[in-house]
Amino acid sequence: MHIFNLKFMNKKIVLLLIIVISISSCKKDDPIYDINQIQSHSYNANKNKLKSASQYISILYANLFQKALSPNELVEITRCIESVGDKELVHEVIISNFMNKEGVTIPSDSLMREDLNLFIEDTYKRFFVRDITEAEREYFLNFFASHPNVSSEMVYTAFSLSNEYQFY
Amino acid sequence: MKRRNFLKNAALGTTAISMPFLLPGGRLFAATGSAMADHVVFVAFAGGVRQQESVLQRYLLDSQDYPSEGNIMYNLLNGNAPDEKIVYGTDGTVEGDTPIPKILSQSLESQGTIFKEMISSHAGHYGGLNTLLTGNYQYTQGLNSKSQMPTIFEYARRHLGVPASKVWYIGNGIGNSIPLLDYSIHPDYGSQYGANFLAPTITFGADGFKHLKNAKVYHPEEELDPMYKMKYFLDNIWYSQGKAIPNIGNTDEEKYEIKEFFKEMFEKTEQGIIAHPPVNGGELNSIGYACEVMKRFKPKITVVYLSSVDSCHNNFTSYLQNLHRADHGVGHLWDFIQNQIPEMSGNTAIILAPEQGRNLESNNIADANGFKGYDHSDANTRRVFGMMAGPGIQSNESRGSEGNPQGDLLHITPTIAEILGFKQEVLNTGLVANNQSLFDLI
Repeated sequence: MHIFNLKFMNKKIVLLLIIVISISSCKKDDPIYDINQIQSHSYNANKNKLKSASQYISILYANLFQKALSPNELVEITRCIESVGDKELVHEVIISNFMNKEGVTIPSDSLMREDLNLFIEDTYKRFFVRDITEAEREYFLNFFASHPNVSSEMVYTAFSLSNEYQFY
Repeated sequence: MKRRNFLKNAALGTTAISMPFLLPGGRLFAATGSAMADHVVFVAFAGGVRQQESVLQRYLLDSQDYPSEGNIMYNLLNGNAPDEKIVYGTDGTVEGDTPIPKILSQSLESQGTIFKEMISSHAGHYGGLNTLLTGNYQYTQGLNSKSQMPTIFEYARRHLGVPASKVWYIGNGIGNSIPLLDYSIHPDYGSQYGANFLAPTITFGADGFKHLKNAKVYHPEEELDPMYKMKYFLDNIWYSQGKAIPNIGNTDEEKYEIKEFFKEMFEKTEQGIIAHPPVNGGELNSIGYACEVMKRFKPKITVVYLSSVDSCHNNFTSYLQNLHRADHGVGHLWDFIQNQIPEMSGNTAIILAPEQGRNLESNNIADANGFKGYDHSDANTRRVFGMMAGPGIQSNESRGSEGNPQGDLLHITPTIAEILGFKQEVLNTGLVANNQSLFDLI
């Protein structure tokens, strides 16, 4: 009885080994073409809805202050936006008011200049919720190099005013 | 851009604002017609006005069956004020017992032409205002949506080549879709020809003081210029793949000028020296800021919208007071133009018309004086008046009478165009419902 069991166990082990070897031997490696994965659709294509005044201002506030805008202030600022026809102009005035307030969270200029590459990558993610393209990186690195006095506040203001930031 | 260049451009922009516009070829950008005036101020008067208490001067007689008649709009109309049961004034011994002193030595009716009985085919404020500003009855026009037909602002900017900062639309608030009429959604016109809308009692009110007043003053050369450069780059990338954003087309110089204006208004408001009418507060403050806009920008077209008399639904006393105050505001506006803005004095025309009338029958809602209120839904709502004064406009002329209407709110847009000398261009578009101006009816 004991000998019979031993033989049976050996058969099972051999069978298991055959299965394992046959499965692993059939596995095919993924092809490697030595090129990077790229995004085939446009970066902005999914942003096709214009933010309402209250959406824009609440997102902007959260972005700059890293906290939510109070409902009362949201209503007040929205009313201010609606009271002026030129939206670009009134946005600029509101943003510059924000920049004058305490609590706005912006990297210091020295931190920005320490690693411009990282700063602009982070800025694109923070405002546009997407990766920077190489053309955009090239432009900004050149721009920062030719404009040594450009501050992080100025960059944030430009992004806040940009048309892409008006859409989601 | 160097600071000197920026300031030079700003100065040039300001000069351009106050000078005739030149085409690239050097030709004066003038329309085919000859202009009667360089500026038009149109007051969409008061917000639903009954003929009975305005041009017919029946005060409490028709509305409340109380035998007191008279003129409570004596800056606009000829006629003696009521002498009994005075409730339309400011508060004295009792509420409303003190009529506001007259501002104009000669009423606008005497100075110009009045159409005592005109037709309005809309019974809603926004629809009526649409008609006044587009020359069309857009019966499918809903609230909370922009006009489908071009506004007078767009006609002026497109056909006269007027810069954005020369076309202003002053609202007494942001309710009832008022801000939406700064431009239409018509495919041939739109935001790029829009007006600068401003609801000054909000912009320079408590909300504005809290969220707009403390704007940083960025250095034009070292801060604004690089910021705009970065923004333009970002926008150019976006345009290649994204959607366009409505923009009324103020140039950088015009924006700078408007921001300077905002700064000045906050300072003047704090100091209490805005050009408000002698009696002010409420929507009369919109008149004061409209005066400031005109003083600074000398607009080709200024539209001022007033609507406080809409309290007539449930407070007839307030309606009378607001009618009287609106008259006071218009008197101040016209007086200010003639005496405080030399560049506009003598070459500005004023037009007034309510966007609709009000009912003949009351709704039986009584106010504190026991006066019944009036809505706007029956045939009497179609009855309105209109008037105009200024260079080339016949004085002491009266057209139409009760039972003999002459003129329609559709005539207002072509009238503004005719005064500014580009009526034919507007008619050639085929987009206005009526080819006649009020002048054609005289």
